[in-house]
Amino acid sequence: MRIRAEKLKAAAWGTFAAGVLLVAIGMGSRSLAHFDAALVAYTFATVFATFGIIYRYAMWLQRPPTAMYFKRGWQVFLSPRFLMRNLAVWCQRLVLTFVFNAFIFRRGRARWGAHWLIMWGCLIAVAITFPLVFGWIHFETVPGHLDRYRVYVFGFGMDEFPIQSLKAFILFHGLVWAAILVIAGVMIAMYRRMRDHGAAAVQQFGEDFLPLILLFAISITGLMLTASYTWMKGYAYDFLAILHAVTVIFTLLWLPFGKFFHIFQRPAQLGVAFYKDIGQRTQQACCKRCGEPFASLMQVRDLVTVEKQLGFNYALRPSPESDAIHYQEICPKCRRALLALAQGELRAASTGQQRWQ
Amino acid sequence: MATLPVDELKIIDFFGPHLAFMHGQSTDTAIVPDKLVKTHCCFCGQQCGIQLKVKGNDVIGFEPWEEFPFNRGMLCPKGVKRYLQGAHPDRLLKAIRRDPQSPSGFSPMGRQEAIEKVAAEIQRIQSAYGNGAIGVLSGASLTTEKAYLMGKFARVCLKTPFIDYNGRLCMVSAGVGNKKAFGVDRAANPWSDIVGAEVVWISGANVAECAPITTNYVWQAREMGAKIIVVDPRITPIARTCDLFLPIKPGRDAALFAGVLHLMIENKWIDGDFIEKQTVGFDKVAEYVKEWTPTKTAEITGIAEPLIRKAAEWWGTAKTSFLMHARGIEHSSHGVQNVLGSINIVLASGRIGRKNCGYATITGQANGQGGREHGQKCDQLPGGRDIFNPEHRAYIAKVWDVDEKEIPGPGVDAYEIFRKIDRGEIKGLLSLCFNPKVSLPDSGFVQRCLEKLEFYVAIDFFLNETARHADIVLPGSLQEEDEGVVAQIEGRVIKINKAVDCPGEAQEDWKLIQGIAKALGREKGFTFQSPREIFEELRIASKGGVCDYSGITYEKIEKQFGVCWPCPSEDPQGRPIDHPGTVRLFEPGTWNPIAKGAGPYYFPDGKAHFNVAAYSPPTEDVDAEYPLILTTGRVVSQFLSGTQTRRIGPLVNQYAEPRIEMHPQLAATLGIKDGDWATAETRRSSVTLKAQVVATIRPDTIFIPYHWSGAKTANRLTIAAQDPLSKIPEYKACACRVKKASEPAYVKTLEPQQ
Amino acid sequence: MAVPSNQHFFIDPSRCIGCQSCVQACSECDTHKGTPMIHLEYVERSISTQTTPVICMHCESPTCAQVCPADAIKKTEDGVVQSARKPRCIACNNCVLACPFGVPKMNAGWELMTKCDMCYDRTSEGKKPMCATVCPSQALFFGTFAEIEALRPRSRPVNEFRFGEQLVKTKVLMMVPRGGLTEVVDVTAAMHGATPQRTVHLDLMMSGVFANAAEGK
Repeated sequence: MRIRAEKLKAAAWGTFAAGVLLVAIGMGSRSLAHFDAALVAYTFATVFATFGIIYRYAMWLQRPPTAMYFKRGWQVFLSPRFLMRNLAVWCQRLVLTFVFNAFIFRRGRARWGAHWLIMWGCLIAVAITFPLVFGWIHFETVPGHLDRYRVYVFGFGMDEFPIQSLKAFILFHGLVWAAILVIAGVMIAMYRRMRDHGAAAVQQFGEDFLPLILLFAISITGLMLTASYTWMKGYAYDFLAILHAVTVIFTLLWLPFGKFFHIFQRPAQLGVAFYKDIGQRTQQACCKRCGEPFASLMQVRDLVTVEKQLGFNYALRPSPESDAIHYQEICPKCRRALLALAQGELRAASTGQQRWQ
Repeated sequence: MATLPVDELKIIDFFGPHLAFMHGQSTDTAIVPDKLVKTHCCFCGQQCGIQLKVKGNDVIGFEPWEEFPFNRGMLCPKGVKRYLQGAHPDRLLKAIRRDPQSPSGFSPMGRQEAIEKVAAEIQRIQSAYGNGAIGVLSGASLTTEKAYLMGKFARVCLKTPFIDYNGRLCMVSAGVGNKKAFGVDRAANPWSDIVGAEVVWISGANVAECAPITTNYVWQAREMGAKIIVVDPRITPIARTCDLFLPIKPGRDAALFAGVLHLMIENKWIDGDFIEKQTVGFDKVAEYVKEWTPTKTAEITGIAEPLIRKAAEWWGTAKTSFLMHARGIEHSSHGVQNVLGSINIVLASGRIGRKNCGYATITGQANGQGGREHGQKCDQLPGGRDIFNPEHRAYIAKVWDVDEKEIPGPGVDAYEIFRKIDRGEIKGLLSLCFNPKVSLPDSGFVQRCLEKLEFYVAIDFFLNETARHADIVLPGSLQEEDEGVVAQIEGRVIKINKAVDCPGEAQEDWKLIQGIAKALGREKGFTFQSPREIFEELRIASKGGVCDYSGITYEKIEKQFGVCWPCPSEDPQGRPIDHPGTVRLFEPGTWNPIAKGAGPYYFPDGKAHFNVAAYSPPTEDVDAEYPLILTTGRVVSQFLSGTQTRRIGPLVNQYAEPRIEMHPQLAATLGIKDGDWATAETRRSSVTLKAQVVATIRPDTIFIPYHWSGAKTANRLTIAAQDPLSKIPEYKACACRVKKASEPAYVKTLEPQQ
Repeated sequence: MAVPSNQHFFIDPSRCIGCQSCVQACSECDTHKGTPMIHLEYVERSISTQTTPVICMHCESPTCAQVCPADAIKKTEDGVVQSARKPRCIACNNCVLACPFGVPKMNAGWELMTKCDMCYDRTSEGKKPMCATVCPSQALFFGTFAEIEALRPRSRPVNEFRFGEQLVKTKVLMMVPRGGLTEVVDVTAAMHGATPQRTVHLDLMMSGVFANAAEGK
């Protein structure tokens, strides 16, 4: 019953988001006046992807640990006492974590290089293509100045520049640059995955190779389109356009399922950081066996709640020798010792001797 | 001039010990090694099989070698991280000479030039003071080929009787004891005999830390029903779960064995038939142990009487058994007596020379067994022959193609070599694979002796603490840069295989030695082209001796995963045979060249010998001034003087600096808490280290591991008392006192391993 | 590839000698080179040399995976609970705190949880895990049921553990005395035991100078 309710709720959210997107497309393109009919397949794929992503996101948020973190994350972030400080720290973390991927840099240079290039390539590509597809951005020659372009965002004229300028060259080849970044990143990632024995042991085709292949296919077919109309007088352009569309649409449809979903999950990392910050500043939980502090009391209590919601019952049986009521009050180090001590108890019981120590 | 050329801190700055961690190729998870070389660990006497991963000319990691029967892939942390000694920043890549003007105290020089300088100095000293003015110190971590060559080099090339080796600090008490009781010096049984024994008796052996792989044999024996008896002043990891623990006061082992034998005789837990037919000398021993009543034994050993009675009962009534001991009973000024005491209870039980009825000493060094067989001991010639036996001399003279009279007589033990230096009788010293400044007792004395030398040449791959005093250091080879055989803990001769070439101008030790011989103009007999050629001569030299290698070949070793000596090439009638080696000694009906069929033991009558193993207290017993017993030993992550292991980062991090282990009761009376600084002081010197307060040691005893140097070396404290027969120093017991201290000065200037 | 279904991991902490061979070898594994995943600790060094190696027990229903807010911890079909998926783990520490055995490790710099994955680079190729291969005491053993039965006649493997009211079933098995009747190891019961005594005593005859000093005479 619970699962079904969750699913319904998630589906509602997904439908709602897809609806909002459709409305935005309608309005942004001035009732489809600037909508490029050739891109209709892309649009539908995007709408489906939006539904899928929001559905999955909603399902995810309903999992007890995620819900707890989601709630706590916003609570601690918005707590009036720390809001200004949180905002400052958030900006700093956004730059380090998101812009530079500092944590991946520490995990490994090659891994970082691959991720950073792919991430920025994709971001640039998304920033260009989606608004174009939705008709949120379009370009028109300035009336009376055939050598000048004007940019329209949501139908409002914004910027104006000469067609032959460097700015125009850079802008109109934005997708080429994005493709080059992505291909470079994919190459590094592939190279690493093909050689590294550690990666080889745990990688899976669907999880680890398919995303790379998709990104590569999108980028290379996109580049071929550019090559076709720039140097080859549009040779096989239509075929390439369909090929490109197929790769993109497949990727869009794949977004909610595979590795790409981390794009939407990952920002939670920033929220968790605030949870940890506040945890450090507030009361610590001390282990009921050794007395040493080992985690924030808030997190320990939240875990007790979450475990209960998940159907675990780590409640301890009352004992005159300890006031511990839940196993969550025992630190990981003591937990490690307990296994050996428990085995010692059994040996002692079986031999009738006192326990080994 | 063998004083330190510059301040020691400067030498340390340049030559280490510095730490090596995984780096470059060893961290790369994408690298495919060029080859896996099947060889053995370079550290302890168990000589575990291991495969080294080689890429280019670097050892970049290891892979367990699960087919090798002794350890089946098992390794201790030293074995796992041993590969980090290769491509080390401290590695000596050139010869260096003492140079007080240089900031490091040393200047590099060409290898050939260095060898010629060494030869010139040897010649100068020998012509001024005589041939015996040169001493040679060698080591038991060398391959048997090198050990053989060193003995020959000292006697034939340098014509000096004064060669000895660092097995003197390790195995000699067991060696002498074994020779006195059995006529042969080797573990009597293979380790597989441990599994299936009813009682396993472990005396003075921290098996878990010093011979970790043996642990599995002991646990496996217990799974099969064995009772484990451990005798130790500390509850070591092997003692923690043993069935009977005898917390002996250090240095009292002979008393315990006498007490046990007393109870065995009293309760008729002895094998009268075996004693009568297979042994001699029992009556005298029985007479001696009469006075060792349980009460007296308990009083002397510090072990409660019921425990002694129980041990005697278990041992006495067992049907099968295995007794093992190690340095704990051997490192004593009565080490031989302690060993003989243990052998007496084995012989009285009659449980030897059969499956699951065994006795062994646990070898310490890599070639602790092989290194003591072929002539680098001061009184020994190859094949386990005696240097004072005219027949033996004549045979070896023939093999070496020299006049028997040219072979010098017996020399003196390693410590006595230093006393001779002190007295000005030895003026020049050559050392290989030996770091006496860390490993010999009373290291202050050792340093003063080094400073008196006119010329000192050291051969090593790192600049060890002793080599800092050298006039010239020749860059030698790591174990993985050369090939040769060693004999491991069970007397099994195995093969070390070469994985990489020596880097820079470093060279295989035997080539350096032959280089010196050539530069001296005495190269006859030192023109071997490969370790195999040396081995072939060694086979002949050992033929007919007790340690007969004549039937062993490199190929047979590989085929059989090792060959246990004796392995003669001919049967008693002189007909060639393909002998598989002798896995278990003293089996009824076996032939040996001494007994010639009279019995399985290596005496003319073929019988084992009981020897009266008289107890006397340690040379320096406690008194009011120095009320505590200091005992020393090893930790699992370090090896001997630490020349290699104190340069391997992960091993140093495991146990970075020595600590003074003491009982909470003692700590409380001294006002010391765990982690406090404490000073341990003896009549020789003092060291200040952190206290480790643990209830796993006798309250009257403190323990300090000995792998560190300088201000942290336990051997500043130990006494230079030696066993009169084996000349082993008494590392395991001297009188000391402890007081609370403040942070010592070295903390600010030295890293933990330095 | 997957871990062969007839190969099992058996642990016996009572054999452990604390040598750290497993720790040193663990850092040689390709999936986490340079960083050991296994834990090896003294239980209480001031009174005992007892140590215990702790590897991931690979629970049938892993608490760590369930409390993970990011869905980052997955079990492969062979029953091995893998390290957190790198793209997903948000370093919240829930798994570290929730694991009943105290296994996962948080690598703060990487913002990533890493844990013992039964040497997946080796076991998925039919080799043994590094730690169990090198372990000199064989407190860590990897092999078949037939092998362990032949080698350990005095013990038998158990893979159910009780923590308070919670029962946890694992892929890894612990050796317990054969004679005992327990099918479930009650881990938290060991928490409340009386002050542990040693079977191995320093049963001493104290005489002479120090005995007096120690007794304050």
